[in-house]
Amino acid sequence: MLKGRLGCSLLSSTRRTFITRVTVTHQQAPRSLSLARYSSQSGSNSGSNNSSSTGRKDSWRTMAESDISRYLQETHDRVFDHNRAWAAEQSKNDPEFFTKLSAGQSPDYLWIGCSDSRIPAEQITGLEPGEAFVHRNIANLVVNTDLNVMSVINYAVRHLQVKHIVVCGHYGCGGVKAAMTPKDLGLLNPWLRNIRDVYRLHEKELDAISDETARYDRLVELSVVEQCRNVIKTAAVQQSYAKNQFPIVHGWVFGFGDGLLKDLKVDHEAMLHGIQKIYNLTE
Amino acid sequence: MDASEDPFAYALSSNQAWAGYKGHQNPDFFPKLASGQSPNILWLGCSDSRCPETTILGLQPGDVFVHRNIANIISPTDINTSAVIEYAVIYLKVKHVVLCGHSACGGAAAALSDERVGGVLDTWLTPLKAVRNANREELMAISDDKARAVRIAELNVEAGAQVLMANMAIQEAIRDRGLQVHGTLFDIGSGRIHDLGFGTGKGGSGGGALGGGGGGDGTAEVVKGKHAMLVFRNDGAGMQAL
Repeated sequence: MLKGRLGCSLLSSTRRTFITRVTVTHQQAPRSLSLARYSSQSGSNSGSNNSSSTGRKDSWRTMAESDISRYLQETHDRVFDHNRAWAAEQSKNDPEFFTKLSAGQSPDYLWIGCSDSRIPAEQITGLEPGEAFVHRNIANLVVNTDLNVMSVINYAVRHLQVKHIVVCGHYGCGGVKAAMTPKDLGLLNPWLRNIRDVYRLHEKELDAISDETARYDRLVELSVVEQCRNVIKTAAVQQSYAKNQFPIVHGWVFGFGDGLLKDLKVDHEAMLHGIQKIYNLTE
Repeated sequence: MDASEDPFAYALSSNQAWAGYKGHQNPDFFPKLASGQSPNILWLGCSDSRCPETTILGLQPGDVFVHRNIANIISPTDINTSAVIEYAVIYLKVKHVVLCGHSACGGAAAALSDERVGGVLDTWLTPLKAVRNANREELMAISDDKARAVRIAELNVEAGAQVLMANMAIQEAIRDRGLQVHGTLFDIGSGRIHDLGFGTGKGGSGGGALGGGGGGDGTAEVVKGKHAMLVFRNDGAGMQAL
């Protein structure tokens, strides 16, 4: 069942190297620590139980500092070997890979996500280098006066002509929690204020949720939808959509509990019409 | 439309496969992630699709706190970047701040040109334009376009590292708990990261590949990933093969 899904989604496309990368790396992995970490992945790839490998994979963390130093000495000669192996493998799968990368980018996606270390956009979506233009900030906010994110959207839409813009939040967001904490957080105040504003827009609904975690999680979803609306309000998106029928804006939420993305099914067209009475910038 | 053709459907279906794979490989993986994050590294990089930090470093979800913007510009009054730094340095207490520029950067090319880019981008790129103007002679003496783009990317990292070193949260963390700041450059053509020696490091040679010298001096710290590991020493950061 699992293998079927993997086979279908990951192996069917020749440009996806997720699984092959695991295998190749295992073959080339030098003895020592990397192997311990690595074999757990390859082992489970063949379906083996991995409760033991979970322990082994982190064994280096408990090594004495002197052992780590010795390990560094031992691996000195292999500096960059592995990186070269990765590069070679990419080239093997696609001889033009780095040439094309060097030549330029033409990603289909703009990803606006949280800075949270647990959500590397490319890894959780299986997108390869060159496929997603990425902006990540605290709590994946799209703020009208923030020239940083506005520059990203402008460049992605007008210059790269991305087809999809994904705003991806995540449950259990520390930024959202911090925003609902009655504390002065200094420099973070003006940034997190935007989340409090979303709460104010949905005060009744949120107040009615008695469980705190559930309330925060709902706020995460509502904030993502609001940030999608903020993306659509930009001149770049409105004008490009009127002319090209893209980009389409999507709202997703990532759940740590299962690693799955939930599509909030933001209706791009309806949202666009909804805001254009007031925010229309296309005429 | 077939999931393999539509990139949107592809990303969602690929996520299903990834989650299934990860959960199968290590049943504790997602429960552990859900319990919180304690990344060691704050990565400040370019939004460019060719610079996926966690993939490049071979690291895993949970390892790297990330901010990526156009041309990895660190502007002292930018509230977006400032909030990220504040949260990562003060609350998450990351040990390393890695500012990473890259070759063939569109922002660098735009800053080298005298053309107006349009919209808010010209304003955003102003710090990079200032770097260009301050080093005009040196940059214009470089005849190769690619080499010139690499050089301005290096100078941009140097300027960004100076802004980072002037940030109060960072200054206090350096003083109180030995936070390290690194200025690096990612070469897209080879997939390698070089330490430029800016920030708290002192062994920089301006573009030389790090990792070639010194196999750990006892104070090295290792952040290990799937493809490589980052080795942080007193004199800088480098990527080593596994």
